[in-house]
Amino acid sequence: MTDEVILRVRDLRTYFNTDEGVVKAVDGVSFELRKGETLGIVGESGSGKSVTNLSIMNMIPNPPGKIVGGEVLFGERDLLKMPPREIREIRGNKISMIFQDPMTSLNPFLRISTQMMETIMLHQGLGKKDAKAKAIEMLALAGIPAPEKRIDAYPHQFSGGMRQRVMIAMSLSCNPEILIADEPTSALDVTIQAQILDLMKDLTARLGTAVILITHSLGVVAGTCDTLCVMYAGRVVERGATEDVFAAPKHPYTRGLIKSVPRLDIASDGRLSSIQGQPPNVIDLPECCPFYPRCDQAKDICKKKYPERSDFGNGHSAACWLYSEAK
Amino acid sequence: MSDSNVLLDVRGLKMHFPFGGGLFGGAKGAIHAVDGVDFAINSGETLGIVGESGCGKSTTARAIAQLYKPTSGEVVLDGEDLTKLSPTKLIEARKNMQMVFQDPYASLNPRMTSGDIIAEPLRIYMARGLLAMSRKETEERVELLMEKVGLSRFFKNRYPHEFSGGQRQRIGIARALALRPKLMLCDEPVSALDVSIQAQILNLFKDLQEEFGLTYLFIAHDLAVIQYVSTRVAVMYLGIIAEISGSADLYKNPLHPYTQALLSAAPIPDPGIEKKRKRIILTGDVPSPDKERTGCYFYDRCWKRMDKCAQCVPKLKEVGPGHKVACFLY
Amino acid sequence: MKFPKVRNLRIGGKADAELNEFAQSMKPVSLWADAWKRLRKNKMALGGLYIVAFYVVACLAAPILPIYHYEDQVIAHANLPPSLRPAGEVMLDTRMAYMGKVMKAEARTSFNAKEQAEIQAMKADVAINPQHKRVYVLGTDNLGRDLLSRTLYGGRISIMIGLVGTITATLVGILLGSIAGYAGGRVDNFIMRFVDILYGLPYMLVVIIMMAVFGKNVINLFVAIALVSWLTLARVVRGQVMSLKNAEFVEAARSMGASPARIVFRHLTPNTLGVIVVFATLLVPDFIMSESFLSFLGLGVSAPLASWGSLVSEGTATMELYPWQLLVPAISMTLFLFAMNFLGDGLRDALDPQSKNRA
Repeated sequence: MTDEVILRVRDLRTYFNTDEGVVKAVDGVSFELRKGETLGIVGESGSGKSVTNLSIMNMIPNPPGKIVGGEVLFGERDLLKMPPREIREIRGNKISMIFQDPMTSLNPFLRISTQMMETIMLHQGLGKKDAKAKAIEMLALAGIPAPEKRIDAYPHQFSGGMRQRVMIAMSLSCNPEILIADEPTSALDVTIQAQILDLMKDLTARLGTAVILITHSLGVVAGTCDTLCVMYAGRVVERGATEDVFAAPKHPYTRGLIKSVPRLDIASDGRLSSIQGQPPNVIDLPECCPFYPRCDQAKDICKKKYPERSDFGNGHSAACWLYSEAK
Repeated sequence: MSDSNVLLDVRGLKMHFPFGGGLFGGAKGAIHAVDGVDFAINSGETLGIVGESGCGKSTTARAIAQLYKPTSGEVVLDGEDLTKLSPTKLIEARKNMQMVFQDPYASLNPRMTSGDIIAEPLRIYMARGLLAMSRKETEERVELLMEKVGLSRFFKNRYPHEFSGGQRQRIGIARALALRPKLMLCDEPVSALDVSIQAQILNLFKDLQEEFGLTYLFIAHDLAVIQYVSTRVAVMYLGIIAEISGSADLYKNPLHPYTQALLSAAPIPDPGIEKKRKRIILTGDVPSPDKERTGCYFYDRCWKRMDKCAQCVPKLKEVGPGHKVACFLY
Repeated sequence: MKFPKVRNLRIGGKADAELNEFAQSMKPVSLWADAWKRLRKNKMALGGLYIVAFYVVACLAAPILPIYHYEDQVIAHANLPPSLRPAGEVMLDTRMAYMGKVMKAEARTSFNAKEQAEIQAMKADVAINPQHKRVYVLGTDNLGRDLLSRTLYGGRISIMIGLVGTITATLVGILLGSIAGYAGGRVDNFIMRFVDILYGLPYMLVVIIMMAVFGKNVINLFVAIALVSWLTLARVVRGQVMSLKNAEFVEAARSMGASPARIVFRHLTPNTLGVIVVFATLLVPDFIMSESFLSFLGLGVSAPLASWGSLVSEGTATMELYPWQLLVPAISMTLFLFAMNFLGDGLRDALDPQSKNRA
C-alpha cells in the first residue's frame, strides 16, 4: 500500500424519490482510496453501503434514484461528470465490480468463455484466440481446476464458490486499478468464504489492485482490510486504519457493533451486549444524528444537529458530539 | 446426564429424497439429506447444530417436526415416538414442539395481522377441539406473548410488512410460544438479521429459555452464535454428525478435522488475531448429498486422511465425557 | 412468574415513543390500503373506476329514475332521433322532412292536400295529447320505445350477467384451482386434464347447442357461459397456490397442525386474491361480450327484455336509416368495457407487491 491516492470520494449524495418521501440513501460520504489498499465499508441494512458503491460507478437507476451531489475523483477526473461513453471505458477496465450473488450476476444463458472474453476483447482489443487464452490464464489464477475444459461450461454447472471465483477472474482480467466487491462472500459457506477471501487477498496483492470491500461482517473486515469506514444511515460515522478502529472505537455505534458480535475466542456467559432499537428509517430523516435514539450516551445536541467530524490522528476520525463541542 | 431428563431422543434418523425416474416412477437415486443421526437433548438444554449448506441440518429439524416423514429412525419426544403416531395423536403431540423459521419475511403470512399470526396456533387447536379458550382469553394471551418478546401490544393490528426484520422474527417467536411448547426447533433464526439486531434476538432466546424452561434445538451456520447459545453442539457434515460435545469443550478441543477447519475458517472480529492466524483452507467445494458413499464422508477434503477412511464409514464414538466424534483418528 | 428485567426488551425506557416514531413510520397500512393508494395515482384506472361506478349506479337505479318504462311502446313515436325537444315536435319535423323528400322526388314544390291534411291532424294531436310532450334524449326504436330506458335496462341485464357470471366462475375457479394446486399428484392431474379437455371444446358451438336444446332464457345463457369461463382462472389460481405452497409461512402453519383445508382457505387463498381480483375484473367484459355475441345471433335474451347485445342486434338491422339505434347501445357497451379494462389494468399494477415496504 503506497500513499498515492487513486480514488477520492467527496461528499457524495444519492437520493431516491419514493412514494413515501425522499430516501437519502447516501448523504455526504467522503473517503479516499490509496493504490493497493483494501478499504472495508461496514454497515447494516439501510446504511447505504451498496448504494455508495453503485454511485461511484454512476450506476444508480435513474428514476427513482439520483446522485444529487458530491464528486468521485478517479485520478484527476470526476466520474460523476463523465459522459456515458467514457465511463463505459472505465467500468470493467480500470474499475471492476463483483457482487454478492454470482448466480444472478453471471448470465445463465451464456457460456463462461463468452462472458469473460467479452470484457477482455472490449477493453484490451485482443482477438478471439488471444482473449480466450487470457481468460483461461485468469481462471487458472483463480484456482479453477482444468480451466481449459471448464471455460466452455455454463454458470449453473459451477457451485457457488466456483462461480465467485469465475467472477473474480473476470473482474481482474483487465488488470483494473480498483476492484469493488459488494458482499462477495455473504452467500457462501464459511469454509468457502475463507478460500475466496484468501484468493482475493493473494491476487490483489500480486496485481497491485486496490479493493473496496463492502460487507456486514466485522470478522471479514478484521481479516482483510487495511482501513475501514463504518456507515450508518447514509453517512460515514467512523473511519480509520482497521487496527485503530477495533482497538479504540470512538463512535458509540462502532463500539456497540463490535461488542455485539459473538466471539469464538472469548467464552461468554450471560448476555450479549447489544444495541437497542431498530435500524433507522431513512425516509425524510430530520437534521440530527441518526444514531441518537439508540445511543446510550446521547446528549441534547444530538437531536438537533449532525455532529462534526473529529480527528484522532493517523487518519482515524469519527463524527460524534462526544468529541466536539457544538459551536 | 440422567436419562429421565431427556426430552427429545433422536435415533438413527434418516431422510432420503428420491429423485429421477420416468413416467411410471422408479427412483434413479436419492438425496441422502440426513443419513443416520443420533442425539438426545435434556430438558432445559440447548443443542446447537452447526454445518454448512447441504449438511442436512434444516432437514433434520423438519424431519423431527414431522414436516417430512422420516425415511427411517425414531423421534421420541417426551416418551412418545412421533414417527409412529396416528395423525390425530401427532397433532396433540405437536403442541409441545414448535418451530421458529429463518426468513422473517417469508415465515409470516403477509395478509394476516401480527395478532392473528400469533393467535393462529391457538385457533388451530381450538378448531380441532384440543383447546378451549374464549375470545378474551385468546386476546390476552396474544398481548402477553407480544410483551414477552418485546413488542408493544398496540402493534397487534399491524401487518408484517410494517415491521422490521428483527420485529418480524419476534412475532415468529411469539407465535411459536403461543401453545407453551416444551421444545422449540429454531432453524437459523438469526441468520437473516443485522448484527446489532441479532444480538437482541439471541438475548431474547436466552431470556425466554430461562423464564419458560424451554428446550431448544438451535440451528445456525455461524459458529460464534452457536457457541453463545448452546449447552451442547453437534457438527453436521453431509447428513451425519461428525462431532458432538459440550459447547465450551468443542471450541477448546475440536477433534474432527472438519470441526477444526470450520473453526479455523470462522472470522474473528479482531484484526490483531486475524492477521496472525494460520488458517486451514479446505480444498474443493462443499459436496452435495446425492451420491452413495463408501468410506468417510469427509474423505475428499480431509488433509489427515488415511487409507482406512476410504473403505468404511466411521461411527460416532465417545472419546471423552460427553464428547463423541466420528473419525478413525480416534 | 417473574419478568426478567432486561433493558433491551422493555419498550419503555429510552423514550419509547421517540424510538418507535423515529425508527419506523408505524402508520397502519394494510396491503389493500397500499394498493388503493397506488390505484388512485393511476388516472386511467381511476377514470375507469368512476365510469364503472356510474354505470352500476345508473343501471341499478333504473326503476326509480324518471325515465319511461322500457316496454312502453308508442307507435307514433317510432324511430325518432335523439333530441332534447318534445317528441311531438320531433315527430312532426321528421314526418315533414320525409314528406319534403317525397315532394322533391316527385318534383313538386309544395305539399299536396293529403299531406297537408296529415300535417294538420298531427299538429292537432300534438297540441292535445300529452304523450307528445315526452323527450327522448337518446331517440326511440322501431316500436317507439325509449332507447335511453332500454339501454339502461339492457345494461342491468348485461352487467348482471357479467358480474354473476364472473363471481361464479371465480368461485369455481378458486375452488378447483386451489385443490389442484395444493393437493398435487393425481388429484391435480385429474383436475387439470379435465380443464384441458374443456379448453379443447369449441366453446361457442357448445353454447349455441345448449341454448338451442334447453331454451333461450337468461338462466340458460348464464349457465352456458359460466360453464367454460372458470378454466383460465382455475389454472391461474393453481399456479399461484403451487408457488406459495412451499413458502415458509405455510410450513409454519403445517408445523402448527393446521388442516389442509385451513391452509388452503385461510392462508393460501388470501395471498392469491391480488391475482384473482385482476383476472375477475377482466372476466366481466369477457362475459358481456360473449352474451352480446349470443344475443346478436338471436340466442340471447328475448323480447321484450333487452340486453346490450340484443339492442345492438336490433340496431344493426336499421343501421343505415336510423344510426342512433345502433350507436347508442354500442357506444354504451364499448365505454363500459373500456372502463373495466382500464380498471383491470390499473388493479394489476396497484396490487403488484413488487415494491414498497419490502425493505
